[in-house]
Amino acid sequence: MANENEQFRLAFREEARELLGELEWCLLELNQKGSDCELVGRVFRALHTIKGSGAMFGFDALAAFTHKLENAFDAVRQGRLAMTPELVDLTLAALDQIRAMVEEEGGERVPEQCAAILEKVRVLVGAPAERQSGTPAQRPQSEVQGAVRAWTIRFAPGPDLMRNGADPLLLVRELGQMGRLTAEASMEEVPALHDLDPARCYVRWTMRLETAACEDALRDVFIFVEDACALEIEPEREANGQDANGQQNPGTEEGGGSTGGDGGRSPERRLDRGLEEPRKILGRRAGDQEHAGSLRVAAARLDQLVDLVGELVTVQARLSTMAARSDDAEVLAVAEEVERLTTALRENSMTLRMVPIRATFERFRRLVHDLGRDLGKQVELTTEGAETELDKTVIDQLGDPLMHLIRNSMDHGIEMPKARAAAGKRPLATIHLAARHAGGSVLIEVSDDGAGIDRDAVRARAVERGLAAVGGDLTEQEIFSLLFQPGFSTAQQVTDISGRGVGMDVVRQRVEGLRGAIDVTSRRGKGTTVALRLPLTLAIIDGLLVRVGDGSFVLPLGATLECVEITREEIAAAAGKRLAHVRGELVPYIRLRETFAVGTPAPEREQIMIVESETGRCGLVVDQVLGNCQTVIRNLGHLYRHVQGVAGATILGDGTVALILDPQRLVQEAVRAKTRGGRARSPGSTPLSEDGDSESRSAA
Amino acid sequence: MPVRFDRSEAPGMIRLEGDIDIGCAAELKQALEEALAGGESGPGETRISLATATGMDVTAVELLWAAERAARASGMVLALEGPVPEVLRAALREAGFARFPLADGGSA
Repeated sequence: MANENEQFRLAFREEARELLGELEWCLLELNQKGSDCELVGRVFRALHTIKGSGAMFGFDALAAFTHKLENAFDAVRQGRLAMTPELVDLTLAALDQIRAMVEEEGGERVPEQCAAILEKVRVLVGAPAERQSGTPAQRPQSEVQGAVRAWTIRFAPGPDLMRNGADPLLLVRELGQMGRLTAEASMEEVPALHDLDPARCYVRWTMRLETAACEDALRDVFIFVEDACALEIEPEREANGQDANGQQNPGTEEGGGSTGGDGGRSPERRLDRGLEEPRKILGRRAGDQEHAGSLRVAAARLDQLVDLVGELVTVQARLSTMAARSDDAEVLAVAEEVERLTTALRENSMTLRMVPIRATFERFRRLVHDLGRDLGKQVELTTEGAETELDKTVIDQLGDPLMHLIRNSMDHGIEMPKARAAAGKRPLATIHLAARHAGGSVLIEVSDDGAGIDRDAVRARAVERGLAAVGGDLTEQEIFSLLFQPGFSTAQQVTDISGRGVGMDVVRQRVEGLRGAIDVTSRRGKGTTVALRLPLTLAIIDGLLVRVGDGSFVLPLGATLECVEITREEIAAAAGKRLAHVRGELVPYIRLRETFAVGTPAPEREQIMIVESETGRCGLVVDQVLGNCQTVIRNLGHLYRHVQGVAGATILGDGTVALILDPQRLVQEAVRAKTRGGRARSPGSTPLSEDGDSESRSAA
Repeated sequence: MPVRFDRSEAPGMIRLEGDIDIGCAAELKQALEEALAGGESGPGETRISLATATGMDVTAVELLWAAERAARASGMVLALEGPVPEVLRAALREAGFARFPLADGGSA
């Protein structure tokens, strides 16, 4: 039983975390939009759910605290309290306390700050707590801060409304508490006594309500009966087509507004509205069923499953190798079948761990909001491609690097509003988070429209810190990569935000740990973009097994475009240029036997594996392509962490180890070596890539 | 309150007590039909007392309204006996039954 309780509490914690995330999102949206009935409604309902579920699972202190906060949003919902940045900040602070209470073991400790927050909320609401839930007679007009509008509400209970336990009179009374209500009950539909079903409501209401509450708040009154009644709520309009509040009703001109061109009064319109409700309800029910069809599974269990599939893939590779050696057709057939099933199982289990990056992106809205306030900068966070999916293990490790990048942009990149205005920019700066698939990787970009990177300041600081030689000739790429060196910081003062010189170093370490790469683009005065290229998954990939000398290597299949042959003569004829003609196009290539210093003689014909890199198509020359293989990625361990161009290792079917190559990194390293070599030796040598004039890129 | 209404007094007299809601709607309908049919004493006057009623839901309002109409159609009288508590009248007025005789204490 105690176990069961603990399970419920765990489930509540998970639910509360999601709701807190949603709350945070809504509040930050509200902060930007000012007032939005739908968002206020969502905040109210989320708080209400946290309170209800919390009380149910023994989080009584949390429930009591949330209840008081919920009251404030009820006041906003009913137009008695304005939605101000102050209230947003207070509520955000309150969410932090709720989060602490949710995560706390006993769930009973009330953080000290709670009382102070509630007191501030109470002052904002401007009334003693007891009066917040008072009747209309207790609410003086001075409390009403929103504009009072008149609404027409038509309410026709369906046949089952009473049987479902609802009482229409209570609903009408609740509306009466929201403002000045004039209700008119129609008995037209009530049949003769003999034919009357005593458990059914035949009465129809037409009501006029003057209230500062918004339409959503009015609809919320009927939230539990909306599938058992016909309901019309529309702003009251006068003969001139304006609503009673003097506002032009969109329905008058567009005819497609929520109220309809005739104000919803014609029978046809009413019929439409009557039909609209059940459709909406059907849609929601379908959604519910979808929800019911999904299952929450602990991430650790999925990890276990993926690990087991990884083991299976390794064993299957051994089986296939052994079967290929034997002449037994039956064993071969079984091995092939096992391979087919293993592939399907692997693909299936990997998709289970794929989650959209949206939640990670949304988390940073709060960071940007809080930092903006602390730094006195106006910054909005925009996102793109939030639906892009990544392995959960990658996403889990992505939070910190992204946080450091955003902090860095906020602190160093984005200028103060005055400086922006002086530079002819709008005071509101933008940080843009974007994600998209690019080949077998995911590209995540953090861009800002700030001042861009000051190369001279970076160089000067690097010299000061002993990271670069005085008067040393550094390319822009090299200057940018200094930013990611341990102990580097251009901030004159160590701030709370960044400037401790550890952030960007952490970014590099984490991204490398994820087998990813960093690419910096910066334009002076225009802004900076830091792109993180990350693998889709850290577990199992499809690969191409290749041989270079005596060693076996795996090239990720997703990164490989095609394979062409190159002969010893062709290599000799190129006179060290390392360029191959591929269907009329010159493609630079890297000979891996040179990269890995393989001493054995090269075969007569070698294979160029063409890969797509940041700098365009590029070839990796190998001795032989051995075939496809499913590859379980194993980490190389700390000793080999700095080996460039290798993403990990895998165990092959015959029990030997093969290194998994990182084509992006191999190409980047070659470009870097070429640029360095080119500068030192001959300026006329062929670079692997062309640098832009105004833009520069760097791989850190 | 276990007894929601009491029609055990004089013939044609229905005394409603406590909250008159959907839980006793079927019974109220039967009582009204019987009263209007005249029962043992034949057709005549049916009187309804709401003096000790504390609340009513829409089913009770509908039944009383339909019964009054039925009585009038058959030339009978359905009238209120005694006062209607103010709290009940106020609740009915608030719920849009201001023109309903019960709300101003008049005959049902």
